[in-house]
Amino acid sequence: MAAPSTPLKNTVKGYATYMGREGHYAFLLHRLTGLGVLLFLTIHILDTATVYFYPSLYEHAIELYRATPFMLGEIGLLFAVIYHGVNGLRIAVTDMWMPKRWAIEKQRKAVRLTLVVAILLWTPGALVMLYNLLLHNFGVDLLAMLPFGK
Amino acid sequence: MLVYLKIYRYNPEAGRNVPSFDTYNIEAEPTDRVLDLLEHIKGEIDGTISFRRSCAHGVCGSDAMRINGRNLLACKALVKDVGNEITVEPILGLPVLKDMIVDMEPFFDSYKSIMPFLVNEDVPADGKERRQSPEQRERFDDTTKCILCAACTTSCPVFWADDQYVGPAAMVNAHRFIFDSRDQAADKRLEILADHGGAFRCRTAFNCTEACPREIHVTQAIAEVKNAITSGGVEY
Repeated sequence: MAAPSTPLKNTVKGYATYMGREGHYAFLLHRLTGLGVLLFLTIHILDTATVYFYPSLYEHAIELYRATPFMLGEIGLLFAVIYHGVNGLRIAVTDMWMPKRWAIEKQRKAVRLTLVVAILLWTPGALVMLYNLLLHNFGVDLLAMLPFGK
Repeated sequence: MLVYLKIYRYNPEAGRNVPSFDTYNIEAEPTDRVLDLLEHIKGEIDGTISFRRSCAHGVCGSDAMRINGRNLLACKALVKDVGNEITVEPILGLPVLKDMIVDMEPFFDSYKSIMPFLVNEDVPADGKERRQSPEQRERFDDTTKCILCAACTTSCPVFWADDQYVGPAAMVNAHRFIFDSRDQAADKRLEILADHGGAFRCRTAFNCTEACPREIHVTQAIAEVKNAITSGGVEY
């Protein structure tokens, strides 16, 4: 009799404990960001639908999205969208046109480069969103605090 | 040096129905292999520990196991490379029968499903052998190195979640024949791998390539199989 196990248990155990290298963590981050974006899209479709059927509920939802935790979540969401897209491009381009680049050293570098590119693309948007969060929720105007500010 | 070894135990015949770990502190040389430590424990301390081994030199592929969370051959893992705190577990995704011994049948069923043999009904031109150029031989040289240890397949997150997925090892061996100019069944193999549970389940997590003890470019081989499916065949 085999030790009790199921695909779900194996998956959770593998995701949590397998000591892979860059590719493994890129895969996990890709999954995580993909699920995050999927969750957002589901909520977004549902709340937008209320504009037509239940306008006051829509207003309430928009009010909720202006709360600090949601705005911080949106900054994370922006990273999720950008990382998922950039990493997806890495995989698609390598798989379809450059299969010889599926080599250990090249992929370790490519995964790190993907993360750097995603962070670089995310930073400007994140700063703008953070600026607005501080301004509207805390009354802190970062631009006014800069020596060359308003 | 003193090595702290933690070993997965499961043995329903001896009443150990719940998986657990046994720990041992043993003296070892940095150049000892993890297999040496397991054999020392089995021979000198606890004879009930079970694991597969045969050649003990990285050729037969019997002793693939998870060592410190990563699939390795115990006969190729040196203490100095894995550290003096070592956790040994069976490979993940195949049913564990006893300690480090897993049921390899599902793995071999996937292997058999891709027709891992040369198919050629024609009589050779000279009546003796089917010739190919060095370039044609080079095309699939990398994938001839597979020893069926299952380190790649059981490191794959897709295989953990879906045991109907043929897995990297089966695709490496399919690649070995698909790209062999002497073979005539590439289309059949590509058809099998185009199906659900075939090449397109690969999510390129790259664990397989990192885990392969023979340094086969597993993900590359799978990508080449995918491209052969989408382009409709192979040019030799």
